[in-house]
Amino acid sequence: MENVGEQRELRTELPLAARWFPNNEWVLIAVLLVEVVLFSVSGANFLSAANGFEISRLAVEIGLLALVMTPIIITGGIDLSVGSMMGLSAVVMGALWRDAHLPLPLAILITLLVGVGGGYLNAAIITKLRFPPLIVTLGTFSLFRGIAEGLTRGIENYSGFGENYLFLGQGYLFDVIPTQLLIFVPATVAIYWMLERTAFGRSLYAIGYSAEGARYAGIKVRRSLTVIYTLSGFVSSLAAVIYVAHLGQAKSDAGTGYELMAITAVVLGGASIFGGRGTILGTVLGLFAIVILQNGLRLSGLPAELAGIMTGFLLIVVILFDRYSKSASAAPAGADTEEEFEVKNSQVGIISAAIILTGLIIAGSNWMLVRSIRDNGSAGSSEAKNAVQNTGTGKKAVIAMMPKAKGDPYFISCKKGADEAAKELGIELLWDGPTDLDPAKQNEVVEAWITRGVDAIAVSVENKEAISTVLKKAKDKGIKVVTWDADSNKDARDFLINQATPQGIGETLTDEASRIMGGKGEFAIVTASLSAANQNEWIKYIKQRLTEKYPEMKLVAIQPSDGDRDRAFTETQNILKVYPNVKVVMGIAAPAVPGIAEAVKQSGRNDVKVTGLSLPNMCKPYIKDGIVDSIVLWNTVDLGYLSVYAADALVNGKLKKGDKTFEAGRLKSIEVVDDEVRLGKPFIFNKENVDNFDF
Amino acid sequence: MLDFRRNKREISAAVAYLVLLAAVGGVAPSFFGAGNLGDLVINNAPFLLIAIGMTLVILLGEIDISVGSQFAVASVLAGVLAKAGVPVPLLFVAMIMIGTAMGAVNGFLVGRFGLPSIIVTLAMLVAWRDGLRWVTEGAWVQGLPENFQWFGLGQSGGQLVIVAIPLLVFVVFAWALRNLRIGRAIYAVGSDAEAARLAGIEPKSITFGVFALMGGLVGLAALLNAVRFNEIPSNAGIGMELKAVAAVVVGGAAITGGRGKLPGTLVGVALLGTIATALTFVGINPFWEKAIQGLIILAALVGDVVMRKYEERSAEG
Repeated sequence: MENVGEQRELRTELPLAARWFPNNEWVLIAVLLVEVVLFSVSGANFLSAANGFEISRLAVEIGLLALVMTPIIITGGIDLSVGSMMGLSAVVMGALWRDAHLPLPLAILITLLVGVGGGYLNAAIITKLRFPPLIVTLGTFSLFRGIAEGLTRGIENYSGFGENYLFLGQGYLFDVIPTQLLIFVPATVAIYWMLERTAFGRSLYAIGYSAEGARYAGIKVRRSLTVIYTLSGFVSSLAAVIYVAHLGQAKSDAGTGYELMAITAVVLGGASIFGGRGTILGTVLGLFAIVILQNGLRLSGLPAELAGIMTGFLLIVVILFDRYSKSASAAPAGADTEEEFEVKNSQVGIISAAIILTGLIIAGSNWMLVRSIRDNGSAGSSEAKNAVQNTGTGKKAVIAMMPKAKGDPYFISCKKGADEAAKELGIELLWDGPTDLDPAKQNEVVEAWITRGVDAIAVSVENKEAISTVLKKAKDKGIKVVTWDADSNKDARDFLINQATPQGIGETLTDEASRIMGGKGEFAIVTASLSAANQNEWIKYIKQRLTEKYPEMKLVAIQPSDGDRDRAFTETQNILKVYPNVKVVMGIAAPAVPGIAEAVKQSGRNDVKVTGLSLPNMCKPYIKDGIVDSIVLWNTVDLGYLSVYAADALVNGKLKKGDKTFEAGRLKSIEVVDDEVRLGKPFIFNKENVDNFDF
Repeated sequence: MLDFRRNKREISAAVAYLVLLAAVGGVAPSFFGAGNLGDLVINNAPFLLIAIGMTLVILLGEIDISVGSQFAVASVLAGVLAKAGVPVPLLFVAMIMIGTAMGAVNGFLVGRFGLPSIIVTLAMLVAWRDGLRWVTEGAWVQGLPENFQWFGLGQSGGQLVIVAIPLLVFVVFAWALRNLRIGRAIYAVGSDAEAARLAGIEPKSITFGVFALMGGLVGLAALLNAVRFNEIPSNAGIGMELKAVAAVVVGGAAITGGRGKLPGTLVGVALLGTIATALTFVGINPFWEKAIQGLIILAALVGDVVMRKYEERSAEG
């Protein structure tokens, strides 16, 4: 306490900057300014009111978590369980509303109580059993997510919430202000007030400086900690309620990875992870530094992965800066000498300069690139001329295309075809999406594209409910929308590029398994994650096909691989031992099949065969060995190619409702049925034909 | 060695593990088939290396949550080098060096500048992962040379190497931690860095060294894991950091540093590495795996309270 009081007194004598920004928040303001300046040069429509509000909408959920994380970090603690608590809350809310038929407000109320309960559990273990928060919340991080998955068996996806509720996450007040800001702004003010304007808040700083000291000063340390960890659980639930309204669905994977984003925002905002220092202003600035970075990179058409790399560097720069300024203002501690500070100072300066320079170079080169392409256009190079002819407007058409996950080899092969088509048509292709399966990210990217202004959007939909609202918004703004690979709601898009229906996939897979097994016996499935929407739909049709056509075939196990080859390997080893009569193991996620095949190979079980849905290149060695009998897939390169052609034809008016066929470059005439463009039936790759494909 | 008072946390974890094994064995005796035990050992051997490194880091009172991302980067690099024709012995050297270099970045920032390790490694977790995604765009390393899988030693020979190296490392580290000056220095720094400094130990160098060593072990683990297959995915190691921390804590180490033993970590690795398989054998739905993992961590904490009470009582008495 004494320490805090002393600092306060000092503050009045300090220069203006120190008084206004007690924790060097000006560094972040500088970072934000640099970002804004860079991106308003390189990003299309970055600097507009609409984009500003859109950014704030995307920041709300992580923002709420960051707000409650701030007091926790100030006391020297941490809460890793907030993201998992979001998942648990989403699932509880969905189940109470849909399955228990409670009215939604009551379901929300009970959900918030679950949050309080979860937060209190953390608090109780931390304060009563005196354990470091890091390890306690690591345990509940697994526990909460695990309960959410167990309750829903990973499959349940609650959707179909009423308009009024969805308005909370998707609507606008006065046509510009996202509704959830009505919660976020008061929450920010409330936590600011609690932390920086009440005796309770000051006591948290004291605990962060020295919990023991605070106790001797008469602060009820345990009670204070209980309050803030419980608050953290409560607000995580609140964030989940908003998240569900935002996406229109509640699933056990809500908020995955959000804890690290929230911690990043808080630390970027200048809070010391050791406790004792941090401000709400800093946290809010840190939050926007991250969100604007991601949004700006998108609008500039730069790879989103840069955001991660730059956030990493920013974090280190900020804590270096923090360390330097702390040492400089406090009395020199122990071993550090004046000289060393100077060295550190210059090092910090060099690193900061390097990062800003890198940003400038990247943005600059991008700008030059855009300029040079435009120049080419006016100079009239042959490729650009093509573009002019094709679009007929004299401007290059911009087609934005989104996979479910960028890093997935399946989508990389689609991109190959998309690039080919873009080159032939002379259009500009933007390829962006989440790095991992993440429905919230998909919405974010579409929003950015609407802001940027593109001619057509082509999306492989991860989550129907969530994305349909934003796609409709895009349509309203005159952007042509197609879906490919997986569909949204029908009224949210113009055309679907259909490579195969879930039913077709499920049936072909079952037929293949039946052919290999001779129509009877046991088989097992290794899926992606247990909550993967696509895979669950395929499994539904596989089971349906089994009862209708193959009563003598028995599906004995469905094991998860989480899209991880090594995990698929281990799971298959287990399957082979626990169910020794299994004749076929079917993998229904691209990376799972090679893992399954390797496990079968190493077990030396020649009587077990592998089939499933995967990419030819990935499975080639195993197909040749005869371990993988066949894999089912369509030509993914052609799928990407066709999607771009269809989007382009739509922009040019060459493809309209009611057409029966349309010309798609090297694919020649393609069948159109109603509002679907059909690629053809699923294809079966085997030993004979696999060498003819390279993807 | 089996003095209960001195090893009560490790012994308790081991007893808990044995109880688990007995329960599984009661329901599904086939769990103890030689094939299954062998597979369990092979699958978890590379991870043991990472847990060993994490034990040293946690003994210092630090943490390293960038190991999963480092693991992915190292795996891909192992494949790239092998494709470029680097012979196997050189591959070992190269991977340890690459890993050490990545670890040294953490070590430099934490040791030299005294930055909090959780933030430094959080930054590197994001940076390595996204950097790798940027460069590979998710593509796998395929078309590896014939002699890459199992180091060209055949399946059983290769498996022997994959198990032998981590065990050897384990024995050497467990011995060194107990008996060498440098090993004791880690405990000293983890208990009280200032006191260690006054006693003539250089905490900064020790910290730097341990993080670099952690990286080196990650590099080695990535190589040993990669040779079990003939293709290398670029998304390996997601979530590995938390699993490693959990294994160390379940093994009885204090997250605040200064207390913990490698044999405990071995038990922790075995426990966490067995759960998923045991669930399948017992026939429990895999949906509950994460919840059970969380419960085990919390149970380890509660167990620790019991130990602490016991300690206090024996100190009084």
